[in-house]
Amino acid sequence: MNPIKAISKHVATFRINGRDRETIIEPHMLLVDVIREKLGLTGTKRACGTGNCGSCTVLLDGVPIRTCICLAITATGSAITTIEGLAKSDGTLHPLQQAFIDHAASQCGFCIPGMLLASAALLADNPKPTRAAVKRALVGNICRCTGYVKIIDAVLDAATQRTKTMEVRT
Amino acid sequence: MSAEFSYIGKRMPRPDIGPKVTGEAKYTEDMVVPGMLEGRILCSPHAHAKIKNIDTSKAQALPGVVAVITHRDVPDRKFTRSTMAEAEPGGLYPMERQDQYVLAEKVRYIGDWVAAVAAEDIYTAERALDLIEVEYELLPTIFDPFAALDQQAPQVHDDAPGNIAFEGEYPFNCGDVKSAFEQAEVFAEFAGVNSRQKHLHLETDAAIAWWDASRRLNIISPAQGAHLGKRHLAKRIFTDLSEGDIHWISPAIGGGFGARLALGVEPVAVVLARMSGRPVRVTMTREEDFSGYSSRTDQHQTIRIGAQKDGTITAIEQQIVSDSGAYLSHSATTSIVNCVQTLGLFSCPNILGQIKVVYTNTPTTSGFRGYGNPEGAFIMQQAVDIVAEKLGMDPVEFRLKNIRKVGEPSIFPPVALAHTALAQCIHVGAERFGWKQKWAGWGKVKTGRHRRGVGLSVLANCTSAGGVLLEHSSAMIKVMADGSANLIVSPTEMGQGILCGLQQVAAETAGLKFENIRMVSGDTDVTLFDIGSHASRSMFVIGNAVANAGAKIKEQIRVLAVPKFEKWQKKVTPAEIEVREGRVFLKEDPSVGFDVSEVAHDAIYNFGFAGAQIAATGSYLATDMAQNHQAAFAEVEVDTETGAITVLKYVVAHDIGRAINPQLVEGQMEGGAVQGLGFALTEDFIVDPETGRVLTDSLFTYRPPLTTDVPEMDNLLVEDAAPNAGPFGAKGVGELPVASPAAAIANAVYDAIGVRIHSLPMAPEKLLYALRHRGEGPAPGASRVTGQFL
Repeated sequence: MNPIKAISKHVATFRINGRDRETIIEPHMLLVDVIREKLGLTGTKRACGTGNCGSCTVLLDGVPIRTCICLAITATGSAITTIEGLAKSDGTLHPLQQAFIDHAASQCGFCIPGMLLASAALLADNPKPTRAAVKRALVGNICRCTGYVKIIDAVLDAATQRTKTMEVRT
Repeated sequence: MSAEFSYIGKRMPRPDIGPKVTGEAKYTEDMVVPGMLEGRILCSPHAHAKIKNIDTSKAQALPGVVAVITHRDVPDRKFTRSTMAEAEPGGLYPMERQDQYVLAEKVRYIGDWVAAVAAEDIYTAERALDLIEVEYELLPTIFDPFAALDQQAPQVHDDAPGNIAFEGEYPFNCGDVKSAFEQAEVFAEFAGVNSRQKHLHLETDAAIAWWDASRRLNIISPAQGAHLGKRHLAKRIFTDLSEGDIHWISPAIGGGFGARLALGVEPVAVVLARMSGRPVRVTMTREEDFSGYSSRTDQHQTIRIGAQKDGTITAIEQQIVSDSGAYLSHSATTSIVNCVQTLGLFSCPNILGQIKVVYTNTPTTSGFRGYGNPEGAFIMQQAVDIVAEKLGMDPVEFRLKNIRKVGEPSIFPPVALAHTALAQCIHVGAERFGWKQKWAGWGKVKTGRHRRGVGLSVLANCTSAGGVLLEHSSAMIKVMADGSANLIVSPTEMGQGILCGLQQVAAETAGLKFENIRMVSGDTDVTLFDIGSHASRSMFVIGNAVANAGAKIKEQIRVLAVPKFEKWQKKVTPAEIEVREGRVFLKEDPSVGFDVSEVAHDAIYNFGFAGAQIAATGSYLATDMAQNHQAAFAEVEVDTETGAITVLKYVVAHDIGRAINPQLVEGQMEGGAVQGLGFALTEDFIVDPETGRVLTDSLFTYRPPLTTDVPEMDNLLVEDAAPNAGPFGAKGVGELPVASPAAAIANAVYDAIGVRIHSLPMAPEKLLYALRHRGEGPAPGASRVTGQFL
C-alpha cells in the first residue's frame, strides 16, 4: 500500500443540495469526479476538463464555479448546488427550467445543467438583466447545438415573467 | 393549416427535454454497469513510426490493473471507422478502404492508438498508461496533401501508392467542359480551402462493452446509426460474431454532427471486455478528441465557371484534393457529396468534377454536418460572384437566372427535381434583408477604417442520400389498452429534435393523442432497421416509415371500431369513421364517438373481440434526395486596422417543404448558423507543419462561437409542402444551416474591402495580409490545386 495514499485518503462531508453527504476522497480528486462518481449526481457534466466550457458548473455558496478544475477537498466547507438541486424538492421546476422547456432551449442537453446554474446565479445577482448582460454572464458556457438564441430568450423570459417565484436552494 | 392538423406545424414540447433540464438525462458516461472497469487508451507521440517492442509488464503489475492490450491482442482484421460503407451498394465507388487495425503496429499520426488498459478506477488506468514502455522506430513523415502526392513522398500506407486514398470522378459529369470554356464569353476561377472544423460534441467519445452470460456482446455508446455499426463491427472486426450477437444501446447523445457515424472507442472497449471478462468503460479526454480521429475534411478546391454574356452558365469544373489524414473515413464520400451539391445547384450542360483524396500523417478527417456542402459553398459562391461581377449583374439576379427549376435534373440527376422553393427563398430573404437598399453595386470602393459590405449564398442540400445509399428505415407502433402507444424508432436523440417530430407524425397519422405516445429508441434489440440520423434524412425517411405505420394503426382502429357504433344503432363502414387526437368518431357526426382506449382495450382484453393488439410496422425506402434549399444574406463590418470581421446582420430563408415543428426547425437553423459562423470566422484547426502535432488541442486554443458572437439573425421558414418528400411534404433542415454563413460572409467581405479570402477561417491575420497584399503573392495556407495562391 502506498503510504501517502493511506494517510491522505479520508472521509469528507459535502453539503450538497441542502443535505450533508459523506464520502471517501483522496486529495487529488476533482470535485466533478466526486459529484458524479462518488455522490452519483451525474447531471453535472464534464466536457473539456480544462475549465473552458462551463458544462461542469455548479454553485458554490451561490457562485458558479467549474468543478473540473476544482479539487474536491476545497469544497467541503461550502454549500454546493448541482442541477439536481435546482428544482424544488416536491419536483416543481425552477422558473429557468420551465422557460428552457417552453423555448426548446436544449438540444443535446449536455451544456444545459451548466447553463441553468450560471443563469440562476445571474438572476440571483441581477433579476432584470438586459440581453447583453445575459450574453456576458453565459459567455463561459459553450453550447454546440442551439446557437444560444433560445437559451438567451429563455433566460430573459424567466427573468421578466417569473422573478417572483425565483429561489435557489442552497 | 392549424385547423387541418392536430399536431403538424405546431410547437409541441420535446419529449427529451424534461430530463435534460433536471439533470436526469443519462448519457453513456453516466451509465454504470456492475463490476465495470475503466478503460484508457495510450496514444502515439510520433506521427509515423513502427513499434519495435512494447513492454506492458510494469503496467500489468500495477495493483488494480486487470487487462492491458496491444496490437498483438486485437483481431487481425482491417476496418474503416466509417460505418456508412455498410449502406453503400457495392460497385459504384470503392469509397471506403478498410485500412486500420483496432490498435496499430505502425502508428500513422500523433494520437494513433498503441495500447489500452482496463483498471479498477480511472486514476489507476491513467497510471498504467505511463508504465507501458514502447520502443519506436521513427519513419519519415508527410503532412502536406500536395507534397504527399509527390512520387518521392513517404508512403503512409504500403498498399496505397502515391498516398492516394481515393481517386475518382463526380458520377454525373456531362458535356464537354473544355470546349465550353473555350466558347464561354465570361470565365472565372477561384481556389481555396476550408479548415478542419472540429465537431466539438460536448460529450467526448465513450463506450461501455461487456459480454453477458449468453456470450452476447453488449455495447452502450453514442451512435448515430447503431444498426449499421453493429453490422460493421461483426463484418469487419469481430468476425466470429454475427449481427444478432450484438446488442447496442445508445442513451442520450451529447451532440453528434456526423462524428458518431463512425466507430469511436467501441472496438477497444470490446477487446478489453473480452480480455478482462468484465464490463469496461472506455473514455477519451477533450485533448485526445482534438488530436484524434474526427474533424471536417480539409478540401482544397478550384472551381471554374464559364458563362455567356446574358448570364447563362455554360460550364462548371470542380477539382478537389482532400486530406484524409492517416486513415480513410468519410473523407472520400464527403468530397463526392461536395460535388453532388455544388455541381447540382445550377442548370448547366457541361460539368466536370474530379476528386483526389490523399493520406498524410495527420489525424484522420471525417464527415461533419453539411458533409461537403460548407466546404464547396465557400469556394463556389465566391466563384459565382466573380462571374456576376464580370457580367455586371446583380448577384441575386445571376443566381435566380441559373438555379434549377422543377422538372430539370435534381442534385441526384437521374431523378427530376420534383420541388424547389429556392427562388422564393431568394426573394423572401432579399426582401427581409433589404438587399436592394444595402447592395451598392459592383466596384464601389469603400473607405475609412470600418467598411461594410453585403453578400449572399444560395445552396441546395440533399434530404437523405436516396439513390446512392440504402435509404431504408422501419418503425413500429403498438397501442396499449389505455389508448396510449409506444412509437419504437431507431434514432437516438442527439439534440436535433427528431423524436419530437416523429412523435407528432405518429400522433397525426394514427389519430392518437400526442402526449399519450411514448418514445422508445436507441436499442438495437427493440428497434427496427434504420441507417441512422445523417444527411438531413430523418424526418424524410424515418418520418415516412412512421407515417406508414401510423396510417396502418388508424386503419386497424377503424375496423375494430365498427361494432362499437351499434349502441347508437349505427351501421357504419370503416371508411365512415375518423380517428383523431385519441377519439374515434363518425365523420358525418363527430359528436357520435368514444375514446380510442375502448377499442384498444377490447383488442387486448375482450375475449369476444379481435384477440390481437393494435400494432403496426411501417417502412420506407427513399430513392431520391428530396433536396432542400437555402438563401442566406450577410452584412459585415471589417475593421481594416485589426482585420476583425463583425457580422451585423444575417438573414436566411430555408425551403423546408413543411415544418413539422417550426420551433425545432428554428433550433436547427439557429444552431447551424452559429456553427457555420464559427466555421467562417474563428474555428481554426492547426496542425504543426514540422511535427504533425495538433496545436489547437484544447478550448484555450480552439475557439468555437460563444454567446457574444451571435449576430442579429432572421431565420425564415419558406413552407410549401413538397411532393415526393417526407410526411406532410416535409424536407430536411439539419445540415444546410451550417453551410451558408462562410459563403455569404466571404462575399460580404469582398464587397466591403475588395479582396477575396481563400481559406477558412477568415481570421484577422488573413484579412490583414489580404488587405496589405491585395490578394497577390504567397499567403499562409496556399492551395496548390492549380498553383493559385490564396
